[in-house]
Amino acid sequence: MTNILLLEDLPEIRSWLKVLVKGVFPNSQIHEAARVHDALELVTAVKFNLALCDLGLPDGSGVDVVAALRESQPECQSVVVTIHDDDDHLFPALQAGAFGYLLKEQARELIAEQLKRMSQGEPPLSPSIARRVISHFAAQTRPQERPQNMPHVALTDRENEVLLRVAKGYTLPEIGVQLNLSRHTIADYVKQIYRKLNVSSRAEAALEAQRLGLFRRA
Amino acid sequence: MWVACLVSLIAMRPVFAADEQIHVIDRAVSVQSTGELGALTQITLPVALPDDWAATRPRFEGSVWYRTGFDRPTGVDSHELMALYIERVCSNVEVYLNGQRIFSGGRMGEPVTRNCHYPQLVTLPAALLQERGNTLDLQVQGHALARVASRQRAGGLSAIKIGPQNLLTREYDERLFWNVTSVQLANLALGVLACVMIGLGWMNRREAYLGYFGWLCLAWGLLSARVWWRNMPWDTGVMEFLFCTGFAPLAALGVQFLLSYAGLRSRWIENALAAQWVLLPATLLLAGPGRLFLMANIWYGMLALEVAAATGLYLLFTWRGRRTDFWSMAALLGGVISLLGLEFARQYGLLSIPGIPLLQFAAPLLFIGIAMRLLQVFARALRAAEDGRDNLEGRVQEITAEIERNFAQLAELRVEQVTEKERKRIAADLHDDLGAKLLTIVHTSESERISTLAREALEEMRLSVRGLTGKPMRLADALADWRAETVLRLGQANIEADWRGPTEEIEQLLPARGFVQTTRILREAVSNIIKHSGASHCKVRCAITERQFGLTVQDNGKGIPMELDGKLDRGHGMSSMKHRAKQMQGQCLVESGPGYGTVIRLTLPL
Repeated sequence: MTNILLLEDLPEIRSWLKVLVKGVFPNSQIHEAARVHDALELVTAVKFNLALCDLGLPDGSGVDVVAALRESQPECQSVVVTIHDDDDHLFPALQAGAFGYLLKEQARELIAEQLKRMSQGEPPLSPSIARRVISHFAAQTRPQERPQNMPHVALTDRENEVLLRVAKGYTLPEIGVQLNLSRHTIADYVKQIYRKLNVSSRAEAALEAQRLGLFRRA
Repeated sequence: MWVACLVSLIAMRPVFAADEQIHVIDRAVSVQSTGELGALTQITLPVALPDDWAATRPRFEGSVWYRTGFDRPTGVDSHELMALYIERVCSNVEVYLNGQRIFSGGRMGEPVTRNCHYPQLVTLPAALLQERGNTLDLQVQGHALARVASRQRAGGLSAIKIGPQNLLTREYDERLFWNVTSVQLANLALGVLACVMIGLGWMNRREAYLGYFGWLCLAWGLLSARVWWRNMPWDTGVMEFLFCTGFAPLAALGVQFLLSYAGLRSRWIENALAAQWVLLPATLLLAGPGRLFLMANIWYGMLALEVAAATGLYLLFTWRGRRTDFWSMAALLGGVISLLGLEFARQYGLLSIPGIPLLQFAAPLLFIGIAMRLLQVFARALRAAEDGRDNLEGRVQEITAEIERNFAQLAELRVEQVTEKERKRIAADLHDDLGAKLLTIVHTSESERISTLAREALEEMRLSVRGLTGKPMRLADALADWRAETVLRLGQANIEADWRGPTEEIEQLLPARGFVQTTRILREAVSNIIKHSGASHCKVRCAITERQFGLTVQDNGKGIPMELDGKLDRGHGMSSMKHRAKQMQGQCLVESGPGYGTVIRLTLPL
């Protein structure tokens, strides 16, 4: 029995998604929400295994729900389902702890396939996201751009290697073959990269809060 | 320096030996009388020449008759014209030879002609001149020392020389030049200089010292007129008083010049100098004409001390500040001060420098030296100011250009920011509204064609809201995206994908629209392979040159069946692929035949 959160404000799309999810996970209990507020309430009450969150909602952004889930239910896999395909929307979602993202207009079969893979522990990672992640960590390792007492979250050489290859357009299975690694190991690397992305962005946020606190004291 | 030069000039003066051609008369008999020559009876008092009245007849004011006799000098040819030469006679003289008046220097009554600085040369008429026993009478009109402001203008008569006119003329000319002409020339130069300096001072009010110096030169020149001005409009007492009064402004200008050149200013000193201007004539009037020389000398001393003090002050400040200016000015001012000292020694009779009015001649030269120095400093300052102005102009131009540049950048940035903000707002609106509706069509439409159209409309919308020109994409990134998608899709369909792209670094950019259209063409091609070809293998090749981008997709499937009219099947979307390529000024070629597989060649200009 799995609990799935479905956060989507458009009724037609929500019902379409519900049918789709039910097809992939026949034994699941689907909890629907149309607003961030409702979703956050559900998060406090129900323990979820999977969450599909839209970003642009009438009372806020689904990123907040992703972040809340990351905080209170770290084992829940959050997936962003959105109409926005640009990095400006996707990257913050990944930083907040989203495990993957799906574009709403994709064909039903494609979405189903991706959901299936994700549930098997294979996170999606596109070249454009890989490029963003690389530049994010590159900026962090430059000391002048990293604030003092900021915990240094760095990628390992192997993780970097994987990212670079993804950025060049190689698929994860291909990279597994190239690096002579199993499918699972590659998937673990990607999960680790997402986790570090989340850690580093949370550290940044914490530092920012601390800085604001200092300002308030002064 | 000037003093040394002057001394050497004096030393070089050819000395006329008192040989037998020239007879020097150094004694005479005299009487103090205003009477005519014929009325004189007792010319008996013997005197030695030169006869300085201040020593021999103090306080005497008026006319003295001198009588002496001489024989024609033996060494002179009888045809030679003879002359009488008097080096100094003050104030005026008339000469009688053997009872006949042969020369007059000017008016003998007040205002007496002042010949104090003029040597006198009198031709002795041959008709009157006897071989032996000539009688020479000289009537000298003079003033008591106490009634004049300067020892040079006190009455007196120097030794008299009798000799050939040509010899004496040379001596006379030389003496005249040094006593009078040199002073006139110096005054003329000083006057011109004064006008220049006053003009400069007038134009540059901040350089007040230039003006002060100009007026100082002018005042000095006017006062020096007393040396060569013989026939004055008023009598001696008045003129002496006026000249003496003139020293107060002269000293005041000197002090003011030195102070302002040193960059100092004192209201107190200015007031004191002005008060002195009134005080000096007042004391002279109070003391009366009988004590003019005494009072004048007291005042001279005081004024000289003031100037010396100002000089000291100036040199002190210059030593502290502008060291480069110190030595030249110290030498020049030292010269002026020592000349003043010499003049004092002379006035008090401590030192007898024959003839040349050193102060009147040398001081203007020193003044000219100072003026040259001032002009040099001024010219240098002017050049520095011009350089500074040029520099400043350059800087202003630079800064103006920079400001303009910054402003343009700022404006551009501002436009970009506003555009970006507006673009985001429109994007959000479109996504929420149009996007949602298109999405509903995509997922609820029964027709594959309509849902594909809606999907494309959605893509089109995204492209529009990102900006029609859009941000161009790096071709390398675009290739990576295409590769990832193509290989993933073929892999999911169990078709072996063989993608080979350029291995070297690619720097070219692809317009946003080009990226979207190429994505669609590639997507369509891959969909065709997955849906219709039945292929097991797909080769993709990318070739990039400087101006062209080529993409070849080849499968080993069953190919596209021909329609009746010989054209390739429309259902495979070939025409839309070709249409898209044409929109980008590229072309899309499809080669296919049953059993041969399909090759799609896309070429786009970059």
